[in-house]
Amino acid sequence: MNAFLKVALLCSFSVYAWGSEVKLEKVALENDVPAIERGADTLMNACHSCHSMKYIKYRDLLTFGMNKQKVDGWRGDQSLDAPLLAQMSESDALLSFAKVPPDLSLMTRARDGGVNYLYSYLLGYYTTAEGVTGNHIFPETKMPDPLGISGAAAPAQRAEIQGQARDIVSFLAWAADPHEAERIRLGYYVIAYLMVLTALLYFVKKQIWSRLK
Amino acid sequence: MPSRIIEWIDQRFPLTSFVKHDLTDYPTPRNLSYWWNFGFLAGIVLVLQVATGIFLAMHYKADVALSFDSIQHIMRDVNYGWLLRYMHATGASAFFFVIFIHMARTLYYGSYRAPRELLWWTGQGLLLLLMATAFMGYLLPWGQMSFWGATVITNLFRATPFIGDQVVIWLRGDYTVGDATLTRFFALHYLFPFLIIGGVLIHLVALHSVKSSNPSGIDLAAKDNIPFHPYFTIKDLYGLGVFLIVYSMFVFFLPDSLIEPANNIPANPMQTPNHIVPEWYFLPFYAILRSVPNMVGGVVAMGLSVMMFAFMPFLDRSRIPGGARFRPFYRLQYYLFLLDMLVLGYVGYVHPTDQTILVGQIATLCYFASFFFVPFISKMEERWLIKRGLPAEVMTLMQSESLEIEKRKSKHSRRNGVKS
Repeated sequence: MNAFLKVALLCSFSVYAWGSEVKLEKVALENDVPAIERGADTLMNACHSCHSMKYIKYRDLLTFGMNKQKVDGWRGDQSLDAPLLAQMSESDALLSFAKVPPDLSLMTRARDGGVNYLYSYLLGYYTTAEGVTGNHIFPETKMPDPLGISGAAAPAQRAEIQGQARDIVSFLAWAADPHEAERIRLGYYVIAYLMVLTALLYFVKKQIWSRLK
Repeated sequence: MPSRIIEWIDQRFPLTSFVKHDLTDYPTPRNLSYWWNFGFLAGIVLVLQVATGIFLAMHYKADVALSFDSIQHIMRDVNYGWLLRYMHATGASAFFFVIFIHMARTLYYGSYRAPRELLWWTGQGLLLLLMATAFMGYLLPWGQMSFWGATVITNLFRATPFIGDQVVIWLRGDYTVGDATLTRFFALHYLFPFLIIGGVLIHLVALHSVKSSNPSGIDLAAKDNIPFHPYFTIKDLYGLGVFLIVYSMFVFFLPDSLIEPANNIPANPMQTPNHIVPEWYFLPFYAILRSVPNMVGGVVAMGLSVMMFAFMPFLDRSRIPGGARFRPFYRLQYYLFLLDMLVLGYVGYVHPTDQTILVGQIATLCYFASFFFVPFISKMEERWLIKRGLPAEVMTLMQSESLEIEKRKSKHSRRNGVKS
């Protein structure tokens, strides 16, 4: 049985080594209000005509601390409590793309690779020799290159687009988990409290057990 | 005044005698290691799951059109809803983690052996209830993995002889997993924890009748038993503190590490995910299911793989006490078995290729073989150990135990003799 297991383990490790997929670029997110507001701005221009974010309301953007004038500009005559629905109706989208573009509210958590996947995907567009646009990360995509990275050759232009992609992903990461900052802050307090409590319990335990001979 | 109240109660309800029998006078071996903390931890996790679950149920909507949105409502709008949900989702994993260690401890120290068979079997029943509860709870967020996991697993009941198709429809309440399935899973997911609480009470009654096993495997003399309270209440509380630190790290810093990304996409019966994986705690059993080429065989093998542990009191024929501690072969077998579980877990997780299927089949074979060989190895090992000489205290116990067995046998045959 031992020998069998050794073979089994060896096999499983070699399989693991094969299982590499397309390499994703790592993105360092910014989670301050200006960066996320920039991301929201870019998203409203580049993505919002087709994609909705139905779990986010305009009021959530204000509560988070975004500029009131900006938010008013985005929402037009919609109520503050309206969700960020796409400008294009779902039936129109079906007619144009044969598929409703997915809602973006949870996008950073709905794909393997998360934020790195989205960042790499947005920057993964390229132009083939025949002049057709393709995507390295998700070749079957129906979405046209939203930020124009496939046509950008100059390093300065590419760097600018990379910044935009990072801001969009930062905004999407916030939208997928708006309580993240609060969660992490609370987490430090909870764990600090538990550590003190556990240390005290340890000393009480030692004290009580020391009564035993 | 308080003593008069207690007296009043005691005349009507056995409060003082209960506290005495089960806490302040309950004899507990003083040499219990921290591995004996995990039963208490499982109880606490059960309480946490029930408490968070009841509050989640106040905001959750069991309806295919609303459930995914209601989870987002909990995560975004309900005050500390995100905390409740992450505690509950992490709690499910924590529950299995704690229970697996609890079981591993029982297997290592041979705590399932006489007279603790019923304790072990009630625990086995609790494991099945826990698995059913976790499986049904996983459907409730109505994500892609929820839907397809429930579809794959309910489909397994097609293996029922003669009435397979009807059983699947009966379980789902429909031809496919749908609204009827969601509402009944929700109802049962709310019911089962209370069955588990009942099962835990039975488990505790059994425990308090046979008392805890201990690392030496020898029933200790009175001088080596200490009252449960305060010695083990404080030891368990200290262990709880350590557990809660680890649990909180997952809840606050890594809550998504245990949630498949595909479950953040609403269920879509028209689109199968590339790769359907169960939660980590089902992976070894899922690997066994996939390793058998025939579906009925796979279902039987998976069912057996969970139930095999119940046979341990019969399979382990060694009378050497202390489980793996005094038994080198059993110890080796034990660690190889854990390794085999890890290999199976890995095979269950990856996308099946020819190679992983082969590895899975070998690991499945090893899994059942390790149970199959226990009776022979344990008997041989016992003979070898006795020839080699055991510590004196172990010998004494074995002799007294074999006397017990002889006594029981003769009693049995006498009784049978009278009957015939």
